[in-house]
Amino acid sequence: MTDISRRGLLKTGGLAGAALLSGGLAGTGFARLAAAQDDPLYAAARKEGALTLYWGSYEQQTMEAIRDAFKAKYPGIEVQLLRQASQTVYTRLRLELQNGVAECDSLGTTNLLHYTELKKIGALAAYDPPDAAMLPAAFKGLDKDAMYHVGAISLTSINYAPGKVSAPPTSWTALLEDQWKGKITTGSPAFSGDVASWVVAIRRKYGDDYLRRFGQQKPKVGQSNVDTVTDILAGERVVGSGAPFSYTLTQKAAGNPIDVSVPTDDAILNLGLTGIPVKAPHPNAARLFTNFLYSKEVSDILSKNYWPTLRTDVAWAEGRSLDQLKWYRNSGDDLAAEVAEGIAKWKELVR
Amino acid sequence: MGVISTSSRDAEARPVMARVPLVKAAVLGAVILLLVLLVVQPFGWVLFNSLHDDATGAWTLNNYARVVQSAELIEPLVNSLILAAATAVIAVGIGVPLAWLVSRTDLPLRRTIRVLTLTAFVTPSFIGATGWILLAAPNSGWLNTAWRWLAGEGAGTPLNIYSMAGAIFVCGIYTVPYSFTMVSSALDEMAVELEDAATTLGCGVLRTMASITIPLAAPAVIASFILSFIQGLTLFGVPAFLLTPTGIPVVTTKLAEFYQLFPPEIYLAAAYCMPLLLVTGALFWMRRRYLGRKQYVTISGKTRAGRQIRLGGWRWPALILALLVPLMSVFLPYAALLLVSLTRAWGQGLSWENLSLYWYWWAIFGNSETHTAIVNSLVYSTLGATLCVALGTLVAYIVERRLMVGASLLGAVATVPIVIPGIVLSVGFFAAYTRAPLNLYGTPLLLIAAFAATFLPIAYSHGGSILKGIGPELERAARSLGAGEARTFLSITLPLMGGGLVSGWFLVFIPIIRELSVAVFLITPKTNVMTTLIYNAKDGGNYEAVCAMSVLLLLITLFLVAVARPLAGLTGARRTSRKTATAAGVPS
Repeated sequence: MTDISRRGLLKTGGLAGAALLSGGLAGTGFARLAAAQDDPLYAAARKEGALTLYWGSYEQQTMEAIRDAFKAKYPGIEVQLLRQASQTVYTRLRLELQNGVAECDSLGTTNLLHYTELKKIGALAAYDPPDAAMLPAAFKGLDKDAMYHVGAISLTSINYAPGKVSAPPTSWTALLEDQWKGKITTGSPAFSGDVASWVVAIRRKYGDDYLRRFGQQKPKVGQSNVDTVTDILAGERVVGSGAPFSYTLTQKAAGNPIDVSVPTDDAILNLGLTGIPVKAPHPNAARLFTNFLYSKEVSDILSKNYWPTLRTDVAWAEGRSLDQLKWYRNSGDDLAAEVAEGIAKWKELVR
Repeated sequence: MGVISTSSRDAEARPVMARVPLVKAAVLGAVILLLVLLVVQPFGWVLFNSLHDDATGAWTLNNYARVVQSAELIEPLVNSLILAAATAVIAVGIGVPLAWLVSRTDLPLRRTIRVLTLTAFVTPSFIGATGWILLAAPNSGWLNTAWRWLAGEGAGTPLNIYSMAGAIFVCGIYTVPYSFTMVSSALDEMAVELEDAATTLGCGVLRTMASITIPLAAPAVIASFILSFIQGLTLFGVPAFLLTPTGIPVVTTKLAEFYQLFPPEIYLAAAYCMPLLLVTGALFWMRRRYLGRKQYVTISGKTRAGRQIRLGGWRWPALILALLVPLMSVFLPYAALLLVSLTRAWGQGLSWENLSLYWYWWAIFGNSETHTAIVNSLVYSTLGATLCVALGTLVAYIVERRLMVGASLLGAVATVPIVIPGIVLSVGFFAAYTRAPLNLYGTPLLLIAAFAATFLPIAYSHGGSILKGIGPELERAARSLGAGEARTFLSITLPLMGGGLVSGWFLVFIPIIRELSVAVFLITPKTNVMTTLIYNAKDGGNYEAVCAMSVLLLLITLFLVAVARPLAGLTGARRTSRKTATAAGVPS
C-alpha cells in the first residue's frame, strides 16, 4: 500500500520532485551505481522506482534468483514478483484489462497464444531489447512488431529411473514397445501446456495411431508433467513421457535417482514468451527487465538451474547445448484449434 | 415489554429506551449492507458472467444450454454428486459417534482427540492427497509395500488410492472435522434432563444416545452433513490428484480444464457451478422441511449439568476406534510427509546421509517470501474468521429469532458462497472488488473480505445450529425486564453460545488458512499467502519443500488450537461452576 501511495505522490508531485528524489538516491549509492549510471533506460526506470512481474515461466526458485540478480544490478527499483501458473497469470491479466486495472509491467508465460491474442486487442507495447542479439538464431525476432520475445526455452523429453531401467527408451516410438506396458507415467494435456504441445507434435509426426497405441500401454496420467518425476522417484512408475527436461535434471543434480533421455525423434521445444503491457505502470523498468533477461547474469542463473540459456555464449548445464539435440517446435496459425483437437483425441484414445 | 417497568426507570434510562430501535435498525442495516457487499455483489458477477459468451462477451443462454445438453459435462456432475454424498455419509458416520464419545463419555485422551481432529482440518486437500499417495499408491505406496513384505511378493496390492473409493476415503477423513466439531459443540451445550429421564425409564447408554442425544443434536448433524456434502462437491486437490489418473472427471477438475483452455472458458465455468447451487439449495430446503416445527431447545432456564457416561469395559476399545480418525488424517499421512521433508533428496530413500533439516531451514530462513506469506496467512485468517463469525452469528440470530421480515432470505444469501468452487468465486470477487464502491485490489482487505464471504455459510450454519438449542425463555426474561434486542443478544445469547462460538471461529479460521483457489486471482506479490507458496513448490516439483511447509502449517495450527482450547475452557469452566450451583438444588 505504501507503494501505491508513493506512486500517487510521484504522479501528483510531478516530475521535478521525482527527479530530486532519484538524484538523492543516486548520490548515496554512487560507487555501486557507477557502471549502470550511464544507462538512460536505468535512469528512467529508477525514476519509476518499481517493477511488477507476472511470471509463469520458470519455477519459483529460478524466478526469485532472476529477480534478486536484477535488484542487485539495478538498485533503487523495488521488484514485486507474482509467480503463478502461466494460464493463471494470463487469466489474471485479462481480468485486470477487463476491469481497467493496470498492475503488470512484465508478463512471462509459456503460451504463444497469449501474446498473439493480447497483440490483437492492442494490449502489448513494442520494445526491441538490444541484448537479445545473443539469442539462438532460431528464436530471434519472433514477432515482427517486437511486441513479444522469447522469455524461456522449455524442452519436453523422456525421463526414467536409472536404477530400475537398464536401457531407457530413446525415442517416442520406443515407448510403444511391450516392455513399457504399465510402466509409463505422463501428464494430462487438459492440465499441462507442455503435454498439450507434446500431443500436438506427436499427432503431427505419427498421427492418431500413436495415441491409440500409447493408450494401450496403460500409462498413469497425472495432471502436470512434473508428476512424472514424482512417480518415478516414488517408484510408482519407471519411465516418464512428455516429461520436463530441466526439472528432471534439477532433481538429478539434487541427488535423486532420475535422468533424462532425449528422444532421437525430437525433443519437443516450447517457448516461453514475454511482453510488456501497453498500460504497464512502469514501462521503463519493464524494458530494463526485458533486456536484462538476455544478460549474461540471467543465462548463468538459467544454466545453474538446468534451464536452456538465452545466449549462445553461455553453455547449458552438463555441457549441453541446443545444437547437440534434435528438437521440434509446433508452429502454425491454428495452434489453438489443434490443441483442442489433440485434447479431444487424447480423451478418446488414451482415456 | 414496557409494561412492567415504569416506576423503576429514571430519566437517565429513557433515552436508552428510545435508542433501542435505532441500534436494532443500525445493526440490521449493517448486516444487510455487508451481505450485499460480501456476497450478493460477487455472486451477482458470477451470475452475470454465466450469462455471457466467452468468445464474444455478448449476452447468451448458451452456456447453460451446453451444460444441460453435453454428456461430457453431465458425467462430471454425476461423479461429483457421488463423491459428495459419500463424503458426507463418511463424515457424519464417523464424526457424530466420535463427537459423542469425546463430549459425553469418560473416554481417555478426549482433549487430545479434539485437538488432533480439528488440526487435521488445516490440511489443504492436495497435501492430504499427497500424503495418501505416498502411503497407498498401488506400486510404491508404503502401506502396500509393507503388506507385500508381510504377506509375500505375490500378495498384490490391497490398496489403490487412485480410485473413486480412494478419493471418497481421503475426502471423507478430511471432512470429519466439520461434523465432529459442529456436533460436539451441540452436545457440549446440551442439557441432560431428557437423557436422565430415559435412563430412569430403563434405557441403556446406546438406546439413550440413539433415541435422545443424537436426535437432539439433529440441527447440528444435518448442518454438518450439508457442509460435508458441499465440501465433497467443491474440493479440487483430492480429485485432481486421485481421480485424474483413473480418468474420472468431477466438476472441479472440469472447471480447471475450462480455465486451462485457450481462450479460457471462464463464463462457461460460471454457468457450470449453478447446478451445484440447485442441489445444495434442495438440501437446505429438505432440512427446513425436516426440522420445521420441531423443538431442539436444550439450554433453558432450567438445570443444566454435564454428566459423563461411564464406558466401563468399553473405554479402551472405544479409544482405539476414536484414534483411528487422527491416525488416518494426521499420523499416517504426516509421518509420510515428515519423512520426505527430512530428506535432502527424497528419491534416495531413507539413510543417515540423506537425512537433513535443510528444507525446514529453507522454509523458515532461506526464503524471504515465506516470512511474508506466513504472517499474511495468519493475519488474514484471524481477521477474516472474526469478521465471518461475527456476521454469520448475527445473521443466524436474525434468522432464528425472526427479527425482520424476510429474515430467511438473509439466511439463504449467507449460504450461497461456499457452494461455488473457489476458482469461479475468485473471478466474482475480482470483478466485485476492483471497481467502485469497493476498490480493494492489491490490499489485504480484498483477501480478508473474500475469505470472510467464502466461509460465511460455515459460520452461519454453525451459529444457527447452536441457536436452535438455546431456549428463548431467558431472552424473553431479559426483554421483559426492559433490555432491548441488542442488549439481550450481548448479555444473554452470546454468553450462552460461548464455547460454541470459539469452535465456530476455528471452523472458519482453519479453512481460510488452507484455502488456495479463492485467493488465486486475488493475491498480489505483497499479499501472498502460505498455500500459494506451497502450491508453487508443488508446481515446481519441489516435494521436500512442499512437505516441510505442510508440516510447518500443521504445527502452527496445532499450536494455535492447543493454545485456544484452554481459552475456550475458561468460559466453559465458569459455566460449569454456575451449572454446579444450579444443579446443587436438584437431587441427582
